[in-house]
Amino acid sequence: MNTQATLMASLPYIVLAGGLLVVMLGICIRRTHFVAWSLTMVTLIATLASHLLGYEALGEGITVTMLIHIDGVSYLFNALFVLAAICTAVIAYQYVDEKLRFREEFYLLLLAATFGSLTLPAATHFVSLLLGLEIVSISLYAMVAYPEKVRGPLEAGLKYMILSVASTSSILFGMALIYAASGSMEFAQLTPVSGSAEGDVFYLLGHVFFWSGIAFKLSLVPFHIWTPDVYQGAPSIVTGFIATVSKGGVFVVVMRYVMESDVFSSEAIAQAIFLIAAISMIVGNLLALQQRNLKRLLAYSSIAHMGYLIIALFLVATQPSIGFETAIVYLAGYFVMTLAAFGVITVISQGSDSELASIDDIQGLLWRRPIPAATLVVSALSLAGIPLTMGFIAKFYLFAAGIEGEMWTLVGLLVLGSAIGIFYYLRIIFAMTAKPEGELDSVERGSWTGISAVAVLGVATLALGIYPTPLVDFVQTLVRVSGF
Amino acid sequence: MMDATGGIPLEHVIWFAITLFLIGVVGILIRRNVIFILLSLELMMNAAAVVFIAAGAFHDQADGQVMFMFILALAAAEVAVALGLVVQLSRRFKTLDIDAASEMTG
Repeated sequence: MNTQATLMASLPYIVLAGGLLVVMLGICIRRTHFVAWSLTMVTLIATLASHLLGYEALGEGITVTMLIHIDGVSYLFNALFVLAAICTAVIAYQYVDEKLRFREEFYLLLLAATFGSLTLPAATHFVSLLLGLEIVSISLYAMVAYPEKVRGPLEAGLKYMILSVASTSSILFGMALIYAASGSMEFAQLTPVSGSAEGDVFYLLGHVFFWSGIAFKLSLVPFHIWTPDVYQGAPSIVTGFIATVSKGGVFVVVMRYVMESDVFSSEAIAQAIFLIAAISMIVGNLLALQQRNLKRLLAYSSIAHMGYLIIALFLVATQPSIGFETAIVYLAGYFVMTLAAFGVITVISQGSDSELASIDDIQGLLWRRPIPAATLVVSALSLAGIPLTMGFIAKFYLFAAGIEGEMWTLVGLLVLGSAIGIFYYLRIIFAMTAKPEGELDSVERGSWTGISAVAVLGVATLALGIYPTPLVDFVQTLVRVSGF
Repeated sequence: MMDATGGIPLEHVIWFAITLFLIGVVGILIRRNVIFILLSLELMMNAAAVVFIAAGAFHDQADGQVMFMFILALAAAEVAVALGLVVQLSRRFKTLDIDAASEMTG
């Protein structure tokens, strides 16, 4: 193994870990919110830039020990996660400054969670899967429960922590049984010793436990009960991070798992996942119909979106390059519009004691706070999959992928789910455009950092929807380089 | 899987671990005291650890034991954060009953 190439390829991890330590030491020396925030931003941007340096050394992909395999696809996901972390940090600054008593450590947790999420796309072994997953989760327990003056976060944090640890135990137990049956923990060598998967009770049982835990982390029905409560109780900016980076990371590692271990060749496992995806699409959309709280509504819609994404998971098993391409484009779109939505809630809640997240709170918002409201309109249209937004391109990709893989039932449910979805997304837009009675003060308040970050996300949603060619070309090149 | 791990067949260890795991699940479902819920979670993790150790011995590899070390570290980290939340809960509500903090529904 070429040591220098290995070091160069793992540069993003080294930079991020180093930056994490610098921020930590900085906090020890002197507590200044702005300095901690700036160091965090520098670290994240340096991490993003180091992908360009490392890319030179990458080639077709480099295997670092047996635990991780770094290639173009993992770099793409890394860049996506780091970009999401940058958006989170920019929007969070004002929130942290205003609402939190211990400000600086928030960024440490953010960096740690990002580090964990970077491990996931490269994981090829149960140990790296577990470590990545848990670095993200444990940082998130603390981030969810961080604000100490209000009641919601503590409840959300406790619920999230208990259920998340239970699901991690389930994943662990599944891994243990699979290991007992196959004698290896590397994804590529998980075939049961006895030969066929169907004949091995413990192998199948292991997968039952494993996928239950994974379905929990992705909030798929019937393991979704935690989602609305955690989404509602956690600070919006943290919710945005959970919805994007945490779920995206889990999904990516599962994709690699499916690709390398070829579990879907076992009919029973594939059918179970198929069922979970189908129920998630329907139930997520139906439950979202009744919600009057924006964050709960987004929680249920995320259940449906993760259900849609399972189509890409099935495709990865048979045609990895198309599967990965679909997943990256879909997740990129989902990240932009979800971060925009939660960013808007954070921005409009500035200066008020509680978060303004109910439908009544955003009544006539377009006339009071034009920029955040316009972003939320774009984001809602995009989540609904209306053409000329990124969400449409993402859904179109999934649709094409579903047809490619001949998954007619799932494609049908995708269309049906999107049709139901339009109803509740449009309700958000109608609420915001309703002209309020009485005096109007259409003055933008609050910090310009938050507002401009949110506006950038909104513009990106539109721009990528109108002209997606550069993104698609870029993704295709990197997927091809990785040699699938 | 007839071979012995110190005389005990692997299947027996696995069924024992599944029992442990299910005891943990039931504990989470019926207990309302946070400390007992944390104990149940610990039980579930250790059930997995037992299988890893036994499977490692069965396959004659060190991997299972390495995984056990990771599980120990993981459990410690999780309990550290969890107890922080428990302290918050008891300060604010003067109770360890998990339902006291629960008000979100729908």
